[in-house]
Amino acid sequence: MKKFSQIFVISCFFSFLLLQTILAGTVEQKFKIEGIISIASTKALQSELLKKLDIKIIDLKLKKTDSGWPVLRIEYDPEVVTKGKIETVIGEIEDPAGHKYKVHKGPLIANANLIDEENQAMTILGDMTMDLKQVNNPTVDFDSSIQRGKDMFVKKCAKCHGLNGNGYGVVAHGFATWPRQLWAWYKADSAADSYLYWIIENGKSDMPPWGLVLSENERWDLINYIKTIKKPEGN
Amino acid sequence: MAEKIRPPRLRISRRIKKNQVIKVKVKFDHPSFTGLAMADDKTEPVFNRAIPVTFIRNMLVYYGDELVSRLSLSSGIADEPLFTFKLKATKEAPVKVVFVDNFGKRWEASKEIKFKG
Repeated sequence: MKKFSQIFVISCFFSFLLLQTILAGTVEQKFKIEGIISIASTKALQSELLKKLDIKIIDLKLKKTDSGWPVLRIEYDPEVVTKGKIETVIGEIEDPAGHKYKVHKGPLIANANLIDEENQAMTILGDMTMDLKQVNNPTVDFDSSIQRGKDMFVKKCAKCHGLNGNGYGVVAHGFATWPRQLWAWYKADSAADSYLYWIIENGKSDMPPWGLVLSENERWDLINYIKTIKKPEGN
Repeated sequence: MAEKIRPPRLRISRRIKKNQVIKVKVKFDHPSFTGLAMADDKTEPVFNRAIPVTFIRNMLVYYGDELVSRLSLSSGIADEPLFTFKLKATKEAPVKVVFVDNFGKRWEASKEIKFKG
């Protein structure tokens, strides 16, 4: 029995050593991937990558990533494969539709600065004029109004303005201008009501006129909620 | 992608009389993509970023030296769009259409309006 336990301990020790030598050199790396345009392309990327390189794919996260780009987590041995080599191979793989993948680097260029000609044109022709009217907030029960406004905001506004009102909603990066960061009106007084009401009613830039969809009371619920959106710490 | 984009083409009628309202057609083979793709079509429809967003941001129309119109566009427009608009031919001058995309790249096409008859 004693001999058996000795053998067991020694074998455990050696298997531990073996495991350590295998895992010792591996590192985990995240890559933001451009070019995943269909469900089929996720499979193609992973299978081709495993064929071409000696790596381990931990996961490919498509939804709810910090940047919005799909994130591929890879475990690899830096002595066998380099990060640059992985990026090159990812760039060489084609998805079933013939589209190439790419590792996303740097900030997203959604909208370059306006060129002089555009600025000049906007100065000459101007932007839409705002016909602000004096409005009075008819809300009596603010707590329930804010709750209704919050529900509506999540359903109708968050896609563009972001859940926390930071203006980086998932759809927003397809617009000509980023949506407004809504914490600009945190604890705003009644002087801002006319402006907010007009914007919600008529829209501006890429924002559609929600006056066609929302009733007057619903617009006030939204305004009351917008005034409670606080800038998150670290932003 | 941007290197392959052909310059826009502008088409107007050959027979134009003074003060006639003419149709101007502009074809521009520019891609338009929101940059989004469906991340999961089975459990819940969620979009994520797929490729960088590409679209024509502004279209400016000049008649002679004068800027007559600006169209503010978004990623919602079609790939390779065809724009048609009406213009009152008040003078013999070139019609110029300028396109600027979201990367700040600029293209233009122009054609001279000359009166006949």
